Amino acid sequence: MRYNEKELQALSRQPAELAAELGMRGPKKGSGEPALTGPLAPLCPQPVGALLLERCRVTQEEPSGFSISFMEDPERKYHFQCCSEEQCQEWMGALRRASYEFMRRSLIFYRNEIQKMTGKDPLEQFGISEEARFQLGGLKA
Amino acid sequence: MGAMKLNERSVAHYALSDSPADHTGFLRTWGGPGAPPTPSGTGRRCWFVLKGNLLFSFESRESRAPLSLVVLEGCTVELAEAPVSEEFAFAIRFDAPGVRPHLLAADGPAAQEAWVKALSRASFGYMRLVVRELESQLRDARHSLALQRHSSWKATGGHCKPQAPDRRSPGLENGHSPSKDCSPMDLVEERCSRPAGRGLAEWQGPASHFLGRRQSPSCPETSYFSTLHNWYGEEIMELRQRWLQRVWGSQPEREKQDGP
Repeated sequence: MRYNEKELQALSRQPAELAAELGMRGPKKGSGEPALTGPLAPLCPQPVGALLLERCRVTQEEPSGFSISFMEDPERKYHFQCCSEEQCQEWMGALRRASYEFMRRSLIFYRNEIQKMTGKDPLEQFGISEEARFQLGGLKA
Repeated sequence: MGAMKLNERSVAHYALSDSPADHTGFLRTWGGPGAPPTPSGTGRRCWFVLKGNLLFSFESRESRAPLSLVVLEGCTVELAEAPVSEEFAFAIRFDAPGVRPHLLAADGPAAQEAWVKALSRASFGYMRLVVRELESQLRDARHSLALQRHSSWKATGGHCKPQAPDRRSPGLENGHSPSKDCSPMDLVEERCSRPAGRGLAEWQGPASHFLGRRQSPSCPETSYFSTLHNWYGEEIMELRQRWLQRVWGSQPEREKQDGP
């Protein structure tokens, strides 16, 4: 699969959701891989990599460490070491909210709730009420 | 490839997963290995799939391996001229040195417009903006109804005790289910009567967010849900807490976004 590294590096120059130096251990022994911020999240200031966060699972591994694994191979974990338990919780929370699918589900939830309460579709004001990605049917049951 | 790593296996898996595609179709493309720096000729026809902020291309509709990936963050999408004049072209441009725009062309004006629209709104930032706006609208709407509903819910919630630990996180993520009617009244009843299912929600769905119990009160996404929590009353909160401790003390269970 081709992708342009320079595009990903440009993404790392966008405002970060969260940025810190974390210890990281990739799934393979000794492989120095990335830390992350944002939906697809590169390490600043000199990005070495990015992790797409769709359908990932964030698990606390120890008081101040967590791991990220992905659906296709849950045993393959990216381990992160934080400075404190607090920082660990902060990162885990941010990572769980960082996926596009999470945003989409939130949006559909709010849309549905508002429509029930007011009888109006709130997305009409943005002219995006017809978009497939905002329809309830788009959600996997 | 090289210096900038990406969890490609997971990305490719996501590309082929059953998660909904936001837009799909055939487009002509002039990029790819061995392509000349300046687009020329008729290019190559590929199957494109937009999922969230990721644009994948495939050799064909049935192909199981993505050819390319473009992350649609920090880019602009605009109409463009194709080397072949009858094509309906557009370009994805990144404001970064040395990055050539991706030139693509649709079969007709309607498809062109649909693609430009979908791609230009595909960024995470756009999605988040809309979510935040709706969130504040809902908060306003709730505000006016909160008091009158409070009393009736509390009455229902008070005598409704789950007999067995329910595997779903009580109430909250149900709101994301495609269920046509998930008023808080129904959520309370559902929680008590319906068996829980298993599904994908644990994988970075909102459910995992709600199951993450250490949310910062300042997190904008959580403010409404904390309000909802309060409406269920202290008793329910306590039950939930105990349930969560049991569940998380043993093994993590997958949650399901139930259908209606």
